[in-house]
Amino acid sequence: MKKPLNRQHLALLAVAIALLIVGPWVLPQFAQNTLVRSCLYAVVAITVDLLWGYAGILTFGQATFFGIGAYSAGLVFTHLGFSAGTAVLALVGGIAASMAVAALVGWLSFYPGATPLYASVVSLVLPIVATQIIFSGGNFTGSSSGLSGFESFEIETSTWLWLSGGLLLLTTLAALRFVRSDVGRLLAAVRENEARCDYLGLNTSRLKMLLLVGLSGVCALAGFLYATYGMVVAPEMAGFQFGTELVIWVALGGRGTVLGPVFGTLFIDLGSAYLSGDLPFVWKLVLGVAFVFVIVVMPKGLLPALVGRFTRRTDASTAPAGKLVDAEPQPLAGLAARGRLALHVDAVAKHFGSLTVLRDVSFDARHGELLSLVGPNGAGKTTLMRCISDGRERSSGTIALNDHDIGRLPPFECVRLGIGRKFQTANVFDGLTVLDALAVARTRLDRPRMWRRSESVALPAAAMAIVRTTGLDQLLATPCRVLSHGQKQALELAMVLALEPNILLLDEPTAGLSKPERTQIGDTLVRLAAEHQMCVVLIEHDLDFVCEISSRVIVLHQGEIVLDGSVDEVVHSTLVRDIYAGAAALPHAAAERTA
Amino acid sequence: MSLLLDILSTAAILFIVSCGLLLIFGVMKIINFAHGGFLTLGGYAPLLVTQWGWSPWAGGAVAFVIGIGCGALVERFIVRPLHSRPLDAILATWGLGIVIGQLITLAFGRGVQFAASPLSGTVHLFGTEYSVYRLALIGMSLAVAAAIAGVLNGTRLGLITRAVTMNETLARGLGVNSARVRLSTFAFGAGLACLAGALITPLSSVDPNMGVPWLTNAFMLAMISGTSLLSLGVACLLLGGAQVLVSVFGSPVLGALTIVVLGALVLRIRPGGFARG
Repeated sequence: MKKPLNRQHLALLAVAIALLIVGPWVLPQFAQNTLVRSCLYAVVAITVDLLWGYAGILTFGQATFFGIGAYSAGLVFTHLGFSAGTAVLALVGGIAASMAVAALVGWLSFYPGATPLYASVVSLVLPIVATQIIFSGGNFTGSSSGLSGFESFEIETSTWLWLSGGLLLLTTLAALRFVRSDVGRLLAAVRENEARCDYLGLNTSRLKMLLLVGLSGVCALAGFLYATYGMVVAPEMAGFQFGTELVIWVALGGRGTVLGPVFGTLFIDLGSAYLSGDLPFVWKLVLGVAFVFVIVVMPKGLLPALVGRFTRRTDASTAPAGKLVDAEPQPLAGLAARGRLALHVDAVAKHFGSLTVLRDVSFDARHGELLSLVGPNGAGKTTLMRCISDGRERSSGTIALNDHDIGRLPPFECVRLGIGRKFQTANVFDGLTVLDALAVARTRLDRPRMWRRSESVALPAAAMAIVRTTGLDQLLATPCRVLSHGQKQALELAMVLALEPNILLLDEPTAGLSKPERTQIGDTLVRLAAEHQMCVVLIEHDLDFVCEISSRVIVLHQGEIVLDGSVDEVVHSTLVRDIYAGAAALPHAAAERTA
Repeated sequence: MSLLLDILSTAAILFIVSCGLLLIFGVMKIINFAHGGFLTLGGYAPLLVTQWGWSPWAGGAVAFVIGIGCGALVERFIVRPLHSRPLDAILATWGLGIVIGQLITLAFGRGVQFAASPLSGTVHLFGTEYSVYRLALIGMSLAVAAAIAGVLNGTRLGLITRAVTMNETLARGLGVNSARVRLSTFAFGAGLACLAGALITPLSSVDPNMGVPWLTNAFMLAMISGTSLLSLGVACLLLGGAQVLVSVFGSPVLGALTIVVLGALVLRIRPGGFARG
């Protein structure tokens, strides 16, 4: 696999390396001193960018991880003395402590159902708590004046600059590589549509937590270097103010670009060092005004605005188109192995407060069945589907998938039991390409790689057939947002089938499709049930379509099953006719209801 | 006994400080991080007023008027364009807070200053000496709550505002000019923030960053209260009470953390906070 590193990138890299080598010889002492610091800040800013710009988690807490690394050095060197051994201890201890705190923060912030705002709240509380802990540490932490006067490495400033600049360069390259990898693509998918990821069997909470923990280690390393270089630590390093400054630098530079935050941090921090002496308050005022202006007018930041054409390439969705290959047929094993019954629903009820939406719903379904759920609007069809695919939804009753009780399992765990759910409205990743979306859907089966991007995506036969017949295989590099409604529906179905489920839940898969598209989907569903022995459960309003393809029909009315039988039984049932035609046959009743 | 008074007056102060933020959060679903800046702005009003030789009582009124004016401008030019980007609105208003802080520094200097208190001295109550001003704040917080409730429940604008709070799309469909509701809400919220700044000034000193520590507490209280003034009152009493107890029996440092930490935990367990539903 060749990476098409274009000439611009190589030139930029060469310039960066040249600047790094030459810098310490030509720059004045003051600039060097400042730059060592700025480079380390920029490393932290990159972690903010990865969390906020790529994964969509606005965080004010990265300062604290930097502070933990710094205080680890300060505390160890002050209380245990300085030696090579204690330096290693401080570094390892700092990174470990930082990661432990990050794990705690992650557990608090990223639970299933957490809102993005809540994660920001927690990241705001973290630095406040950290500063107060430092304040209350007395002589041990140096309280509000921090620790200083400890011994450290005796290295020239120029060497420090090589060191911190080198770290920045490495971090930048690693970050750029990371965001273009499979995992980087996954982060973009989670940011775009977390619910869809959940139903693709991805543990999004764990993904975010791992990202946070990993990046906290990077921050701690930068903090450690900062303390050993400056030989001073202060509570402000872990504080809320620094946390927000990082966000400001990232926003001004351009979130979601990696390079933008690096330039933003270097320019602003260097500028602050030179200008804040002469114009202390005006400089901060200018920064504040610029920040507000950029957020309101250019939400993407300055770098993309200045060189838009060039940096747009850094987004995860613009890699060259890859190709599709056939997946190795693998017999379903483990939890998703075919059960005696595909689906067992027993006495399921769902209440919203005093309103009962489902009442005592029980039925079984086998593999190879094509079961249609029909009923008027408000009968509880979609609610039932939600209860089947998300263990936390129902109020009472039991549900088993492939003979495994789902208990209170969240959707991504239900997916592991062999279920795949297609939503009512086409639910794809607007910012990703078709190929990326399919790759994300395969994440559960083909492990994503952290530093590389897979060029080909393996699809099982059923998904491949959908992609081929709808022509999506010609549109692999197209962003999902420009697809037609029908193409989005087909893509979502292909994504669900890429999970290789043996129970398929489809909520109005033909809504808004043309007649030929409808027939095509109908044929596909029949084949999935007959040839692939899937259990297909379908919600449909079009009774003709239902009668054409179903092997069995369940009629729901006001939250209860009123009929469960073959197509013939439903067609000849007067009850069903009353339910559907009742209101229409009695114009005065309909008129009364609307009045 | 003085412990009980401490709890009540702390809750009152917290209520005054956070009600403006809650109002904006409830109606507009955005967090106004310039709240700290507005608090500071209001804090300087009593200072100005005493320099002009007016009664210290006028400080609150002046602050309220200034806040309404500034709030309206900010809503029109900064908050409105960010309506569909709530996380960005947080950032923009935070930046605005920095701008306000720096402008105040340029105008008044960065030093700490003291304003005259309209009520001084202590009063003998239930066997302890207690600050008159703190007691007065309990009354003032009730008055502020009554005023907000009066506006929301007694006026046509209040009715429309409540409609927008519950279902903005529906309200707009019924012909409500929700942009005007948002403008007046933000202005009113900013006015309340400035008023709060003026009211808490006599308790402490005035400096360009005085609002920031209050901001985090107010933010947390608003988050766990959802949209209801009543649950804000409950939250202020419970968390303010916890803060006082921890400060007295534990340490003041832990006390300063009580509200944010407890608030975060409450939200973890009940994402909806104290509000029902």
